[in-house]
Amino acid sequence: MSLINSGKNMRQPTGEQPAGEKEQTAAGRTAIQIEHLTKRFGDFKAVDDVSLTIKTGEIFGFLGPNGAGKTTTIKMLAGLLKPDHGRILLNGVDLAADPLACKQITGYIPDRPYLYEKLTGIEFLQFIASLYQLAPATFSANADHLLQLFGLADWRRHLIESYSHGMRQKLIMASVLMLEQPLIVVDEPMIGLDPKSARLVKELFRSRARQGVTIFLSTHSLEIAEELCDRIAIIVNGRIRTVGDLAALRKEARLEHSDLEEIFLELTGAYEVQEVVAALRK
Amino acid sequence: MEKSLSRTILLQPFWRSTRNRFFPPGAFPLRTAAALLFGLVICLALYLVGVRVVGYFHRQSELGIILSLKIFQMAWITVFAMLVFSCMVSAVSTLFLSQDNEIIFSAPVPADRLFFMRYITTTIYTSWMMVAFSLPIFAAYGRVFDAGPLYWPLMFLAVTATAAIATGFGTTATVLLVNLFPARRTKDIILYLSLCFGIFIYLMFRLIRPEDLVNPDKYSQFLDYLAAISNPAAPYVPAAWAANLLSLYLLDRQVDWLLVGLLATTPLVFFFAGEWAMQRWFFSGYSKSQESFGGYRQFHGPTRYRPSAWRWIFRKEAKTFLRDSAEWSQLFMIGALIVVYLYNFKVLPLDRSPIREEYIANLIAFLNIGLTGFVVASLAARFVYPSIGGEGGAFYLVQAAPLSMGRYLLYKYIFYVLPFTALSVLLLAASNHLLKIEGPMWWISLASGLLLTWTLVAMALGFGAIHADFKAENRAAALGGIGAILFLFTAIAFELVIILLAGRPAYRLVTANLHGQTLQTGDLIGLAAWIGGSLATATAFSLIILKKGIMKLEEVA
Repeated sequence: MSLINSGKNMRQPTGEQPAGEKEQTAAGRTAIQIEHLTKRFGDFKAVDDVSLTIKTGEIFGFLGPNGAGKTTTIKMLAGLLKPDHGRILLNGVDLAADPLACKQITGYIPDRPYLYEKLTGIEFLQFIASLYQLAPATFSANADHLLQLFGLADWRRHLIESYSHGMRQKLIMASVLMLEQPLIVVDEPMIGLDPKSARLVKELFRSRARQGVTIFLSTHSLEIAEELCDRIAIIVNGRIRTVGDLAALRKEARLEHSDLEEIFLELTGAYEVQEVVAALRK
Repeated sequence: MEKSLSRTILLQPFWRSTRNRFFPPGAFPLRTAAALLFGLVICLALYLVGVRVVGYFHRQSELGIILSLKIFQMAWITVFAMLVFSCMVSAVSTLFLSQDNEIIFSAPVPADRLFFMRYITTTIYTSWMMVAFSLPIFAAYGRVFDAGPLYWPLMFLAVTATAAIATGFGTTATVLLVNLFPARRTKDIILYLSLCFGIFIYLMFRLIRPEDLVNPDKYSQFLDYLAAISNPAAPYVPAAWAANLLSLYLLDRQVDWLLVGLLATTPLVFFFAGEWAMQRWFFSGYSKSQESFGGYRQFHGPTRYRPSAWRWIFRKEAKTFLRDSAEWSQLFMIGALIVVYLYNFKVLPLDRSPIREEYIANLIAFLNIGLTGFVVASLAARFVYPSIGGEGGAFYLVQAAPLSMGRYLLYKYIFYVLPFTALSVLLLAASNHLLKIEGPMWWISLASGLLLTWTLVAMALGFGAIHADFKAENRAAALGGIGAILFLFTAIAFELVIILLAGRPAYRLVTANLHGQTLQTGDLIGLAAWIGGSLATATAFSLIILKKGIMKLEEVA
């Protein structure tokens, strides 16, 4: 499946695909290939020699403490930041060589919902759709449905400046999901969402992954990572500390019966926090 | 607790970020030094042009001296009016809509301390350009009139006091008007401010009556006319105090100490009035400002979606402009500017000029190319330059989309160049009509004016992209940055190049036409060189700056 074709195939307004189909169409294919990615800001190395391979249809979690390099990596993946070294391949295409083709198949959801304040919700969706040249039939099928799903249908003709933080975040989600991109890159997906919307987003991600969409998400919420992700990478000080599913991480941390929070604290070396927590509990 | 808070503490973020921007720690401020040097060269050029023009008037009869002083007064009053308006528009943003209000106003900071900080920053943002560009012109007057040593401190006092009074009045009036007018939301207040400004301009011109002052026939004796001229114009307008103070000193070497006192104390009066008004009314205005402009209103537009990036970038720009009263209300200012601009041409007493009317009309039409270019450059600095940074945090949407930065800038360029072309054609065609210009000068002014306009818009966009500040508090703040300064300096340098290139061929063309002569081969070569040189310079300026802008946007995070 070529890069552009995969995008076009995704654009067909189809219903939910049966779970088994994923394996038939996409099993084993590499959606994201990150090789020796490095980014410096002056003397500070924000991302240091990161290499990852993510398969098509996988939900991949990217965890790490504050300032570990998650957002920098995600921005490089979305084509917003130029790496100093290394390369990124999206569906086999080098992001540096053909950024527009890569952006055509990627949907990026940032952690902060910056939007055009003077547009209405529906105008914003039309604007985004036109940037990605989305077919009118796909737009009509998806935009109203997603606005309805996120509880924004009554607000579609109101200016975005009157939206709350959570509503903005939902509008960004709707705009990316509307595009039916085969690859979604999300920075902190649940910030500002109420529990109902958070639940909805999780279900939408799962359903899209079943259809063969690859989702790369960074999160601070260990609960979300545990619940949603097929595999998890932990990044500390710009370097990948470990990658694997929950069982592999447990093994790595030598904490066979622990939850992700304890594994995370162990693997990120947050011993002081563990001591403080223990002291507070006493 | 309240009284112990120093006035200057809130200014620290402003000072420090300005210092870091212009003098980055640990490095020689090369860019700042280059901008400063460039600015000095431009100021010197303005000074020399000013000396030539004022000197020309000065060498004419006594009427020439009087007219030059009248233009001096009108320039002061117009600049003052523009400053008041731009300060009022900025003040709505800086006082009520700044993002840091949430942090500062939730802290135990009294509103008067907040006023001090906003007053200082608004004064700097809105008046630096006026101060930088008016000082060389006023200095040229001092040189031509061979003013005494006191002229220079008086000029400095007059310029700074006028700027401080304009911003003091503007900010205080904004605090008051936000509460007095029945605008439901603070953002809508700018509509009322624009109306006030229109009335203000109208009253000012009624007070000065420039059409009478250029018409000595209206006075029975020349002495009456002189008396009318030397009478203080508009005695209630602070800019007129400054103009009258300096005119009196230029003519008679006398200092009117009453005017000095008024100029020195009025800024303080407005400042304390502003502090008082702020303490009393800021909170209700700030509270209203947090409501949406649209509120619960629904906006209906075309429901049919068509996948066209350029169409939607146009629509997004237009909607953002038309739904932001801080933006579209400035159309009033542009309208007033056009009226004042064209009015000046209407009242020019060309028939009483000692030189043949066709010559002077053609000369003025030629100089008008530069004036139109200056208007276009100022408006481009206000609207086009901040249009990239103005995307703010939402710019990631364009960066993450499969749209190249070159194409994105091209769409933006087309969006802005169309209204700017219409404006410059209107200014040039209408002023040529008022000057009764026909023949080659009509075409020279139109062609050069359009070339200037298209290049200046490209330059504004390019500089805006190179120096885009996506985190700027508001669009007014972008104008205080080094990029805006560089854009204006480059724009003026470019204008000077184009005008200087056009000088000789335009002169040959016009004189040949007036005398019914045919052009010599040398003239034709000069004409071709001028056309080729101007086009090459304009293309080079536009492409180099736009290319740099594209590269910068591609690497920006």
